[in-house]
Amino acid sequence: MKKQVPILLAVVASLCPVVGFLLPQPWVDEWMNRRLDEWMVIIASFALVLGVVSVVQVNLHKVRRRSRGWGFSLALLLSLGIMSAFGLFGGQGERADGSLHPFTWVFQFAFSPLQATMFSLLAFYVASASYRAFRVRNVEASLLLVGAVLIMIGRIPLGQAIHPLVPQIAEWIMQFPNTAAQRGIIIGAALGAAAMSIRVMVGIERPYLGKS
Amino acid sequence: MKLARKLLLIDRRIIFLLVLAGAVIPILFPIGLAVQVSPPVRAVFQRVEALRPGQTLLLSFDYGPSDGPELDPMADAILRHCHKRGVKVVGLSLFPLGGVDMAFARLRQLATELGARDGEDWVNLGYKDGGQAAMKAMGDNLALVFPVDANGVPVGEIPLMRAVRNYNDVGLAVSLATSVLGEWWINLVNAQFGVDVAVGTTAVSAPKYYAFMEAKQAVGVIGGMKGASEYEELVAEAYPDLAGLSRTATVGMDVQSIVHLVILFFILFGNAMFLATRRTRQEA
Repeated sequence: MKKQVPILLAVVASLCPVVGFLLPQPWVDEWMNRRLDEWMVIIASFALVLGVVSVVQVNLHKVRRRSRGWGFSLALLLSLGIMSAFGLFGGQGERADGSLHPFTWVFQFAFSPLQATMFSLLAFYVASASYRAFRVRNVEASLLLVGAVLIMIGRIPLGQAIHPLVPQIAEWIMQFPNTAAQRGIIIGAALGAAAMSIRVMVGIERPYLGKS
Repeated sequence: MKLARKLLLIDRRIIFLLVLAGAVIPILFPIGLAVQVSPPVRAVFQRVEALRPGQTLLLSFDYGPSDGPELDPMADAILRHCHKRGVKVVGLSLFPLGGVDMAFARLRQLATELGARDGEDWVNLGYKDGGQAAMKAMGDNLALVFPVDANGVPVGEIPLMRAVRNYNDVGLAVSLATSVLGEWWINLVNAQFGVDVAVGTTAVSAPKYYAFMEAKQAVGVIGGMKGASEYEELVAEAYPDLAGLSRTATVGMDVQSIVHLVILFFILFGNAMFLATRRTRQEA
């Protein structure tokens, strides 16, 4: 029963949207589309709670055992607790007098600059990594290099200043070779997802039981 | 060739310093390079331009603070365009890591700048978890997913929302997306509900959206800070009275130009040194 019931639930739940999509009947639409959509939003919110519980458990364990880097785990738990308290009880956005609620204040003046800092560091590491690792070792790498150089120049106003054709070449690369490759990737990924979905629907793949 | 080998092993802090100089100098001494508008951005602009005053644009803030420097200017330019034309804006967020706060900040600031009224010209519905499920449910009834706005006001009491029940009442949906959410807007909201969708995204993510655009599933794509600066340029051209307002992306393009040049220099110089040392090894 431990296995059969979850599998039965998963099979029925995964078939509902398919039936709902294929049978344009009002009662099917009501029960298998609208109700299911509502349930999905609610279940997704519970998944968020599950994620928080998991993060707390893992990090609490680290702090208790004084594992390596436990200080970071403590900082994470404190931040999680404080921000949750601000978010749940302190409101969000602006107050009537124009001042910010604590949650929005911390988000705007602590979280945002920290995230922006992390992201902007990429420019420095990209420059360093490209100098050390982006090498023309073979034909493929050489083509990649030529493409990268054309796109990098073509996607800045300086490219237009160098020659009006430069941005047009960059746009051509984006529109044709890039689109062709992207289509291949997207169609491949979609076929993979469809195959995986069918495996879940018929109960061959059972990630919800903790194993395939 | 010893010199070439030494240069290949240059201290990375020197590279960091040069990148820093490339970022700071154009801020102190702006170059003001002209921005050329690309067809994907012009397509988005023209689609917004085609909306009649009073029609609704759904603007989804599907990004967090790390992508703010690229996507905030897009939000500002689109909001200016809408407010100027009298297009109503329904803002929302499906991105968990700060999307709702990005929406708060942009919608509030732009409304103050152009005198747009909360609840009448624009509304912020806040954040909802669930991604595709939320998108799908909004096709039936927006109030089902967002029963109250971000301030806790029931949507039934918001004048703007009385005319917006579901996607049928939306002229265009724009997702400013950093993750897979932009793709979902296209392959769910456009494909299943027939709503025109445009995507604004980071420069890194922009290439994948060209496939959707070429297939006419997306109206257009605004890619990275360059795309944002192009949209700013189009708005300034069409509405000269808005030209004097801050144009963050256009200013940022000077920095991006120089930093790109610095990175290109390192790529080409590194390869020149690499080829020189390889030739020496082969000769030896």
